[in-house]
This record gives sequence, structure tokens and C-alpha cells, in this order.
Amino acid sequence: MRNGALLAALAIGAAAIAGCGGGGGASGYRPVNPDAAVFWDRQTTETAALLQDIVTAFNAQYDGMPIRVERAGGYEDIHRKVLASLRAGVVPALAVGYPNTTMEYVRADAVVALDEFIHDPAHGFTEADLADFYPATLEMNRYPQFGGRMYSFPFAKSVLMLYFNRAILRAAGIEAPPATWDEFLAQCRQVKEKTGKYAYAIDVDCSTFNGMMLSMGGEVYADGQTLYDSPAAVRAFRLYQTLAREGVAYQIAGGYDDDIALTQGAVAFTMRSSAASSGIADVMKDRMDEWGMARIPQDDPARPATVLYGPNFVLFKTTPEQQRAAWAFIKYFTSVENSARWTLDTGYLPVRKAAAAHPEVQRLWAEKPYRKVTFECLPFARPEPNAPGWHEVRDLVERALADVIAGRLDAEAAAARLKRDADTALQERK
Amino acid sequence: MRGIAHIALRARHAPDALLRGLDELFDRAHARLCGDGALAALLLAPALTVLVVFGLVPLLGALYMSLFDYELLSAPFAGLGKYAQAVRDPDFWSSVRVTLYYVIGTVPATLLFSFLAAYALRRIAWGRGVLRTLFFLPYITSVVAAAMVWRALLNHPEGVANLIMRYAGLPPQQWLIEARGVLHLISGGWIGPEIGPSLALCCVILFDIWHGSGFMIVVFLAGLAAVPRELEEAARIDGAGPVQVVRKITLPLLSPTIFFLAVVGTIRAFQAFNSFYALTQRPDKALFRPTTNMILFIYEKLYQDHDLGYGAAVAALFTLAIVLLTVIQWRVVGKRVHYS
Repeated sequence: MRNGALLAALAIGAAAIAGCGGGGGASGYRPVNPDAAVFWDRQTTETAALLQDIVTAFNAQYDGMPIRVERAGGYEDIHRKVLASLRAGVVPALAVGYPNTTMEYVRADAVVALDEFIHDPAHGFTEADLADFYPATLEMNRYPQFGGRMYSFPFAKSVLMLYFNRAILRAAGIEAPPATWDEFLAQCRQVKEKTGKYAYAIDVDCSTFNGMMLSMGGEVYADGQTLYDSPAAVRAFRLYQTLAREGVAYQIAGGYDDDIALTQGAVAFTMRSSAASSGIADVMKDRMDEWGMARIPQDDPARPATVLYGPNFVLFKTTPEQQRAAWAFIKYFTSVENSARWTLDTGYLPVRKAAAAHPEVQRLWAEKPYRKVTFECLPFARPEPNAPGWHEVRDLVERALADVIAGRLDAEAAAARLKRDADTALQERK
Repeated sequence: MRGIAHIALRARHAPDALLRGLDELFDRAHARLCGDGALAALLLAPALTVLVVFGLVPLLGALYMSLFDYELLSAPFAGLGKYAQAVRDPDFWSSVRVTLYYVIGTVPATLLFSFLAAYALRRIAWGRGVLRTLFFLPYITSVVAAAMVWRALLNHPEGVANLIMRYAGLPPQQWLIEARGVLHLISGGWIGPEIGPSLALCCVILFDIWHGSGFMIVVFLAGLAAVPRELEEAARIDGAGPVQVVRKITLPLLSPTIFFLAVVGTIRAFQAFNSFYALTQRPDKALFRPTTNMILFIYEKLYQDHDLGYGAAVAALFTLAIVLLTVIQWRVVGKRVHYS
């Protein structure tokens, strides 16, 4: 009898632990801080300091609730933290998010559709303001599967770029970075042959692979299905397979090993977001002529494409006061002056045309032409799909890519498996 | 004079007598009020409370969770579906394989290395303290910090390990992301790449032998200090060689220590996380399967995929496996332990 009572008590305790939280749902979310609109972000070092400056300036001129920016780890950490918060029913006013993660929050009925704020006569943007934003940066925040509404707003934008070590290219007798993928392969072979060094340090990354597919004339996603068995996908896999088999490229093990290898003169090429350029420029400040950036190679340089990166603001359903403050901050941050300032002091791109035309930005581009190269990619940069389940698809792409590079799968088999698994993942999350 | 001395003696012993009296009083009162069982319960209560609140209740909580399919804001009942999912999941079985390779590769090797090092340390007269500190140093170093140094050493293509390989005329290796089996690489491709532990896993094993042996060496040294030297000397006088002395005298007398370290080492090896994560995984990427053990797999399901039911089911299976293995260790190996 006693044992029975003990077990029952334990079971109740266990159930209490297992069932605790339970989530907000149906807009019943409470703010993490009732006295300030908390903004979960990932910026570090100088960019974090700049963001804090902008927040401080905003708070000084805003009458309502202050914004409090909190570093919540990397994008993955923030995503996990937001999911845990949704389960607990307590959310920040703002967080950075990519479309594929934002999708999950929208499904939990936790995100404010921004259309009403945007078009609000008193607090929104004018039509002229909206026309001033680069269309791609706005469009990636529109969710067709949720009535085409804007569930996020552009925060920091960047594009996939090719970084090159000019000194190694010169040593290999190469004058300019490759314009096409055939040239890229040829240059990789030439670098290996002439210098004995690896040509390309591969960061196994879904966005880079998607960028390759787009630049090879392909699409990544259409009609609710991935296109990872398309000719462009197979061609991209084959290129990786060739580079690895011939020993001209290698996969990096650590997060920024490719950047390190590039700056140390150990490899000729890496592919990364343009946001990485400020860090590389900092390391190379005394050897600026030894490195450069170019758009990623293209199959058809006349019809270029690359990936548009960058997180967006996601505004959560908390109290009206928190939402008002968060929206006011979004509007303040994306003003022409602040957009220009953000561009000047980070590796990110201006999201507004007027910011790009800002005299200070123009001067920056004149002094640092590599920064302008990234901006020139913006017109043809394309966002990645924002379908439910895309988060899982990213992992599957990276696993397939690692298998091809390691020689465990050939290109065709990897493409077929990836297509099957990715579509299954999307189907399960529908 | 004798009378004064007697009084002084009684006064000196008075506190002892007082304490004895109080003890007797407490024992009588206690026996009258509640008996020995209640006292035991009272003394055990704090430890039991901690055990129940932080051990048993979460364990039952995990079992309960494993019966549900957790979505973001809902959790429909799934019965044993999550356990069935584990049985069908190749990634689960891959994590089981990695865990077993790791335990088999780490525990015996660390025990052997630690015993040899402790035995040697016991016998040398000069520099013992310095060497003991050197051996213990890795153990008190943060795993993450040590892993960073190892990452640099094993870096491809410019790490020290690859420089040595080049110097030796061997091809450089992708040490920490090489998924092919080490047997495949050593045999020049004669053995299939999927057979045996991957090179990356072997690096983790090597790292943990290096990192974990300091603790075992210290425990072995304590165990060896309790082995009477006279016994060993007597055996030598009787004509036993050094190996025989170790086999017939030292090891049997050290068997409780070995058994303790084997049990603790095995449980710890099953629960290894830090070295796997810090050496071979990238926080913002999908897990690298050749070095994803069961703990990392559970971590992935709980914290990356947010599949709480599945993560809890695998955690329950994992706990069951450790309990079974420990029972087997006690039953099989425990019989060979000499406590006197």
C-alpha cells in the first residue's frame, strides 16, 4: 500500500514535469520582460556594439517602452530558445529569424503579421518608403502559404560570395577570379598543380549548395517539392565530387577554418556570406591587395544568380505596448540613416536604395571596392525557400554533400537520396 | 595527597563520563520512541529526497514523455511508437555502434595505460611527483580547452599531425572529419570503409584516453599503496619473475580498484559528450554521424530537432542499456574481485 502511494506520488510528479509548460498558443503569450521590449539577437563584437548604439539612440527618442537587446547565441540557439519560449508561453518582443524558422513560429500563432503596421497611416511606411526597399529583401518576408502576409521584416542582408586569395592566384598564374563554374574547376586544378596548395576549402553548407544550383541555372524548390535531383543539383554534386576526388579541395572541420586558411594563404578560394568580409578585411588589413571577393561563378554570366542571406525581424504577439515599441524600433532601424550606418560599419548590405546612395556609403565603396562587389550582387540575389520543414532539409543537404565529398556516395546517388528524403521531410511537416 | 590526585583524575574524565551518559540517555529515548529503522530513515531522508527529486522523478518524467509525440504546442499520445521509431532509425543504430566502439576502445585502453603508468610511477624513485602531476594535468584541464588544442594539432591540412605524416612520407589525413574506418585506411582499402570505428572516432578515443587516464592513475596509485611490498618481495624470493609478481600478487590484490574503475569508466564512457562535441561537431550544422554517440543522438533529438518524445524514448533505452551492462559487470566481473 505504502509502495503504491509512493509510486502514485512519483507518477504525479513525473507527469507534472513532463507536462509543464504547455505553450501559449492562440496568442496567449506573455513577454519575457514586462518592462522592456526584449530583442533576441546574435550580433557579436563591433556589430553588437553598433546595434546597441542604435538601440540606445532609439530609446532616447522614443516615448514608449524601451527596447532591450539581448545576445541569445547563434541563429540555431535563438531558434531553440524561441521554440522553448513558445512552449512556455513566454516570448520576447522581437527576435531575429530566417524564413524557415519564422514559419514555425507563425504556425504556433505567435507572430504578428506586419501588414497593418506597415500600412498604418501614422506609424507605417509611405508608398515611397516601401518602393525604396530592394524588392528581394521585402519579398523574402512574405509567406505565400500564410496568405502572402509579411510575418517578418528585413534586418541584416548579405549574399553568397566567392572569396579568393590573390597572392595564390598570382602564384598559379591566374589573373582574375573565375566567372564560370568550368573556369572555377580549371583554376582549382591550376592552383593545385602550380602551387601544391589546396584550391578550395569547402564549408559544407546548404545555402552554398543552393547558391551553386541557382547559379547553374537551376531552382531549389517548386510546387511543394525540392528539386535536388534536377540537372543543376547533380551538376553541383559532380563538381564537389570532382574537386574532392582530385584532391584540389578539402572539407573544413571547424566553423571558420576556411576563413583562416584563406587569410593564412593556405587556400585560394572559399565561399561565404558577404557578411564575413568585415572579419576577413580586419585580419588582412595590412595585406589588402592579397585577397578579394567576386560573385560566385555562373553557368551563364549574363543571367547570374546567388543566394540572399540574412535574418529578419520577427515580432511576437505579446502586449500591444510591446508590439508598438518593437515596430517603432524596426522602422527606426530601417530608416535611411540607420540602414546606411549599418552598411558602413558591418559587412551587411543596405536594404534601401536611398541608403545605397548615401554619400558615406558611396565613399566607402570608392575606398573599398570589394564592398561594392557584394552590393552589385543584390539585384540578382534570391532568398532560399521558406517551406515548413526546410530546417530539416538543410541538414539533409549537408549530409548528402559530406557523403559526396568523402566519397561515400556518388553524385547521382546523393541527388536521388536527397530528393527522396527532403521531400519526405517536407511532407511530414505539411 | 592520594585523595587530591584521585579527585583531579575524576575531574579530567568527567566530560567523557558526561558524554557517555548522554549517549545512553539518547539511545534509551530513541529506542523507546522509534527504533533503529526510523533513525535510519531520518538520516537517509536528505539524500533520498535529492535522489527522488533529481533522479527518479525526471526518469519517470522521461518515460512518460516517451509515450507522446511532441509538436510545438501539442503532444498526442503515441504509445510505444517512439520506441518503434528508434528500432527503425538507422541513425539510432549508428549511434549505438559509435557508442560501443568508443566504450570498447576507451575503457580497457585507459585502464591498461593507467595501470602501467601507476605501476611505473610506484617503482621509480626520482621525479615521481613531477610525473604524477604531468599525468594528472590533462584530467584537470577543461575538455573544451584541451579539445581546441587537439583540433589545432589535428587540423587539415596544416596541423602538426599532418606535418608529421608528410615528414614520414605518408598522406595527410582529415583526422576529425574522416568517416572512413581506420581499418580501411590502415589496410590500404582492403577492408571496407564502413567496417570498424572511423578515423575521426579513433581521434576522440585517443583524446579521451589521454584526458581520462590521470584520474585512473591516481586511483591506481592509491590502490598500489595498499598492496604489501612484503608479499611481492616474498614472491620474488620464491623465484617469481616480474610478470608473475604482477599477475599473481599485484593484480589480484588490486582487483577491487580495477573493478571500481572499470564500472565507473564504463558508465562515464557511455555518457561521454564533451569530447565528441568539442572535437568533431559544429554547433550550427547537422551532426557528423561517424562521431555521433547515443548521448549526442539524444541531444540532437531533444535540443536540435525538438522531438521530445523520441529523445526521451532513446534516453530510456540508453538508461536501460547502462543498467543492464552494470548488472552484468557486477555479476560476471564482480565474482573475480578479491576483497581480502
